[in-house]
Amino acid sequence: MERIKTIETRNLCDSAKNGGCGECQTSCQSACKTSCGIANQQCESKESK
Amino acid sequence: MIHQYKQGGYNIVLDICSGSVHVVDEVAYDIIALFENNSREDVLRIAGEKYPEISAEELAECYDQVLELKQAGKLFAEDSFEPMAGELKQKTAGVVKALCLHIAHTCNLNCEYCFASQGKYHGERAVMSFEVGKRALDFLIENSGSRRNLEVDFFGGEPLMNFQVVKDLVAYARSVEQQKGKIFRFTLTTNGILVDDDVIEWANRECSNVVLSLDGRKEIHDRYRVDYAGNGSWEKIVPKFQKFVEARGGKDYYMRGTFTHANPDFLNDIQQMLDLGFTELSMEPVVCADDDPSALTEEDLPIIMEQYEKLAEKMLEHDKLGKPFTFYHYMIDLTGGPCIYKRISGCGSGTEYMAVTPWGDLYPCHQFVGEERFRLGDIWEGVTNTNIQKEFANCNVYAHPECRDCWARLYCSGGCAANAYHATGNVTGVYEYGCKLFKKRMECAIMVAVARTRGE
Repeated sequence: MERIKTIETRNLCDSAKNGGCGECQTSCQSACKTSCGIANQQCESKESK
Repeated sequence: MIHQYKQGGYNIVLDICSGSVHVVDEVAYDIIALFENNSREDVLRIAGEKYPEISAEELAECYDQVLELKQAGKLFAEDSFEPMAGELKQKTAGVVKALCLHIAHTCNLNCEYCFASQGKYHGERAVMSFEVGKRALDFLIENSGSRRNLEVDFFGGEPLMNFQVVKDLVAYARSVEQQKGKIFRFTLTTNGILVDDDVIEWANRECSNVVLSLDGRKEIHDRYRVDYAGNGSWEKIVPKFQKFVEARGGKDYYMRGTFTHANPDFLNDIQQMLDLGFTELSMEPVVCADDDPSALTEEDLPIIMEQYEKLAEKMLEHDKLGKPFTFYHYMIDLTGGPCIYKRISGCGSGTEYMAVTPWGDLYPCHQFVGEERFRLGDIWEGVTNTNIQKEFANCNVYAHPECRDCWARLYCSGGCAANAYHATGNVTGVYEYGCKLFKKRMECAIMVAVARTRGE
């Protein structure tokens, strides 16, 4: 019986190898303007996708 | 580190350092909770006592599944990222890629809760000249290195009180961007009072995003968002915003509201936005001093938490009705989100992102404008206050001692430096109230993402 279902996610440990291009949005500036939540930003690196 | 919670009929287990998300049944939920601090025998014994109807063989199978996930690095993954914490900001040191242009330190509304003190940022009223704005754009181009996409926000006060300069600056940017190898993405934040056909046509052509301030219900909106005669602005702006959004033809926008002590039941305001036909929504907790009457209180907290949960349920209901809507803080792309470098380095305020005052001073972000100690320099000389810039460059998730044991640290990345400073006097502090809200929002966002992934 399958008791654990793993949802597909970006592996953060692997992203240490191909991440860090710095192209993504830098702050909350184009949206809420009063708090920064990084998790809801998009990765803008074409290579890591 | 893991984080477990139950919401929306799901038992969710987050593995913080790998970013894995697991949906599990009750048995696995309990076994995972016991796994790290108990021997295999103890875990199986405790689980056997709780679930007598399940065979020992089945429980052992579940335990082994957990063990396999651990061995695959998808449960209980270690945080090995600290040595990389400063890397992204080091790599991009000196590169500026986004500016917030304070086009007008003046406003045609007199909102009591305004973090920018009615647009004046605790200073004199002022508007940015074309010359200052042009120099700011040149400063951005000159300091953007190999970055191609440059973001510029027109902010205030109310930027449309200086609309001609805004238009002229965009025209200038467009005239040089190709030759400089850059692409400008403009955002306009407006309270709507001066929105007209000219503004709509211009913004829909030039702005990749517009942020439209609306607090939701008329009585809530008009409580704070009033003109200098004390008249509410809801009736005036709502039809303009409806026209504006319709004309955007699918281009990005946010209806951006603020909730305060007056409306911790902000879901009613979100419903009002939906009823008005808006689907791209943001509703932010007020940012103000603790003793301000609009400040959120401890008594508001359970109400807000419940509202966030109900909002998640509402999103899923709307999905089923074929009328989906977006809530800014619930946007999470589990497969395409930020890499670990971004997650540990946090907000780019003071390094890649700066705010420019009407007279050309540079600040780490729009929320620090008016705090003289944080003045970084100006658009002619660049950053001269390198000590302050270093504070921001070193402000990564590991710089906040309180974040070390927090499951949400790779989702918030240490949080907002301005919130931290205003709550604790230090940019590496934490704004605890905001943390509580953030964690709740992340749980809700992930639950919604899980439900959507499973097509439920």
